[in-house]
Amino acid sequence: MNRTIISIVIAISLSACSSLGVEPWEKDQLARADMALDSEKLDLALDDHIYFSKEGSSGGRSLAGGGCGCN
Amino acid sequence: MSIQQQRASSGFELSRRSWGHLGSFRAMASPCELLIATQDENITRAMMALATDEARRIEQKFSRFIEGNPLWQINHAAGKASPIDAETASLLQFAHQCHQLSDGRFDISAGPLMKLWRFDGGEIPKAADIEQARALVDFSKVSFNEHQLQFPAGMSLDFGGIAKEYAVDRVAYLLAEQWPAISVLVNFGGDIACPISKGASNEPWQVGIENPQRLDSAAALLEIRQGALATSGDTRRFIEKDGKRFGHIIDPRTGYPVLKAPRSVTVLAPNCVTAGMLATMAMLEGEKAEVFLSEQEVEFKCFR
Amino acid sequence: MQLKNRPKISTALAIASCSLLGHSAQVQAGEEALDDWKVDAAIMYYGEEDRVQAVEAIGNVQKAFGDESLLDMKLVVDSLTGASASGAVAQAETQTFTRPSGDGQYQTAPGETPLDDTFHDTRVQASANWAEILSPVWKTNVGVNGSKEFDYFSLGLNAGVERSFNKDNTTLVLSGAYTLDNVDPVGGRPVALSSMVLRGDYDTEEEYRAAFDQTRMEGSEDKKTMDMMLSVTQVLSRRWLFQANYGLSSVSGYMTDPYKILSQVDDTGTTQGYLYENRPDSRLKHSFYMMTKGALDAGVVDFSYRYTTDDWDLNSHTLETHYRYYFSGRFYGQVHLRYYQQQAANFYRPFLMTGEPLPEYASADYRIGDMTSYTLGLKFGQRLSGGHEMSYRLEYYQQNPENNGFDLVGQLQDHDLFPEVKAIIAQVSYSF
Repeated sequence: MNRTIISIVIAISLSACSSLGVEPWEKDQLARADMALDSEKLDLALDDHIYFSKEGSSGGRSLAGGGCGCN
Repeated sequence: MSIQQQRASSGFELSRRSWGHLGSFRAMASPCELLIATQDENITRAMMALATDEARRIEQKFSRFIEGNPLWQINHAAGKASPIDAETASLLQFAHQCHQLSDGRFDISAGPLMKLWRFDGGEIPKAADIEQARALVDFSKVSFNEHQLQFPAGMSLDFGGIAKEYAVDRVAYLLAEQWPAISVLVNFGGDIACPISKGASNEPWQVGIENPQRLDSAAALLEIRQGALATSGDTRRFIEKDGKRFGHIIDPRTGYPVLKAPRSVTVLAPNCVTAGMLATMAMLEGEKAEVFLSEQEVEFKCFR
Repeated sequence: MQLKNRPKISTALAIASCSLLGHSAQVQAGEEALDDWKVDAAIMYYGEEDRVQAVEAIGNVQKAFGDESLLDMKLVVDSLTGASASGAVAQAETQTFTRPSGDGQYQTAPGETPLDDTFHDTRVQASANWAEILSPVWKTNVGVNGSKEFDYFSLGLNAGVERSFNKDNTTLVLSGAYTLDNVDPVGGRPVALSSMVLRGDYDTEEEYRAAFDQTRMEGSEDKKTMDMMLSVTQVLSRRWLFQANYGLSSVSGYMTDPYKILSQVDDTGTTQGYLYENRPDSRLKHSFYMMTKGALDAGVVDFSYRYTTDDWDLNSHTLETHYRYYFSGRFYGQVHLRYYQQQAANFYRPFLMTGEPLPEYASADYRIGDMTSYTLGLKFGQRLSGGHEMSYRLEYYQQNPENNGFDLVGQLQDHDLFPEVKAIIAQVSYSF
């Protein structure tokens, strides 16, 4: 159920790209350092490690990988 | 903004005065002078070397007349993003703030309009040409961050309205950092900074302001112990047509020169870029230049 | 220009000019070299009430080579101490367990959840990643990472390609990773679902040792992980962007936790023995992740949702948001909220019953049982001169394990078999 909904959302965002978006000179806000997807990458890395070791699922935001004997 | 092809000769001239040394060189199409309050010639020479290097570095980087320099590459990027360094980014940031503070009247992308109003004694540009040029002027279309810059093809940037004042401040601050006990007055063609006080027991620095009606003769003598001043004025360049006098200060929003602007405005401020920008903004106010400046609570002198 | 705004201009200009002249003073000092390096460092404390305590130090160095290449290197060192739930259930009597190494025993007081306090380890992890801009629309990256713990070794490779479309408004990333892990547990790997032997049941040390060795296998085991992810990032407007990811992960090899056990109880709920857990040796995982992030006038906000599912039937939903507000240009506060809910793996059971046939796979590890958890966090950051930034983070994390439908027999009803786990996370970071 959930899977279908999400794949529809992905499909929509893909097909709508030609009409979505802004001109290069309108990217002032998006270019802010705090808008980068990895703007808090240390926090994200530490969080990923905590939740990886304490919960049953992992990954999603980025590649899950292995590399930890905690789970 | 014309006759700028003449390159500064290398080196500088130095002469001894009762109060210290006077050093001079040419850069940025202006006579550049340093009044240095020390009798020590070694220090003076070191200061002059630093000042000429820095002034020429900034000219080399930000002059729009030097083919292949960083600004030339930015202006020839044809709509693509150009990498920029931290210094360029901070100048752009300053230009951006000035653009906002002046409601779009100070615009470093106004080059195409400036080109039309050349003031080489000719005619008033055609309205159609002005419209065409205006379409290429809009700093809000320039997007930049710390590392890169991008604007639509056809547009161009000109740091002429900031670079000289910036160079004055840079030279003055670099000297003050290295020789914090020696007062120096940096004067690049009338844009002046003096970060270190001459001291209460000494005579203040005396600076003459050009009288726009009688060129090359000082109309007023300003005394400075510490601070900066800058002048904006159409002393030499204007067109008179049908009794109207079109000055060299163009309002990018209309595409036409500002009417009833003073002939020149001189402003005192803590540093030269601030003084220069206030003078330029006052010119853009036209008739209301004096009102604008009194509201800013700065010392100034307007010639009409 | 409105009249009343006018007096502000000279002040605003003076401030703007200060940052212009202040910043460029550094350009002179180091020319452009300063801009090539970016260093982030953080130290984090993670502490559970009565259980695991960890200190983790992380350092990340980024070095740009021209405009086209970027090297990213990360080093993580962490140290764990304290106890974690062994999987056994609480009892009205004192319980005695054999340590994983076979050397010695530990006891759990009546009514307490059995915790194995032998758990302490130091982990060192290093990774390096190289990103290269191939053309205005193509980017690529490759990386290696390795980590070492006392009983664990991991080595991984990853690579990705990125293509941007539509004036850079749409970005498609395809990445993959291969990781090889090697586990060499203390005292050897337990034989699947074998019974824990206790010294007290044997007359001599030799007899006990011989019996213990019967429950152990020599040598190490491998685990291989293949990951693939497809990610789309779309600029929605001048201030909003959206990201959607699909991740596929295939794991094969040894996934059993060699230190986890299950209690075997009789009809009265009284423990008759302990069995070492056993998990399947393959797992295929899917993840779906959606995130939107917005640039506000005085802040940033993001919301994300993640759904994961796998062939162990462990499904999860995660909702997360960060909201940052700039009190001034130099100081911000940030709130972090996270809600997580998972459905147990199909072989999870809180205990086993004597007399019933043993399942092929079983684990009482609450981390793969039914559970909800939430996180509440606060962060404050301060921009210092020269582009440095200092930040402080404090979070509260609580796990609420739940019973996924097992009848609690006899005395088990008197004990909290699904105790909450409460943890505090404190972190200080510095970037320059």
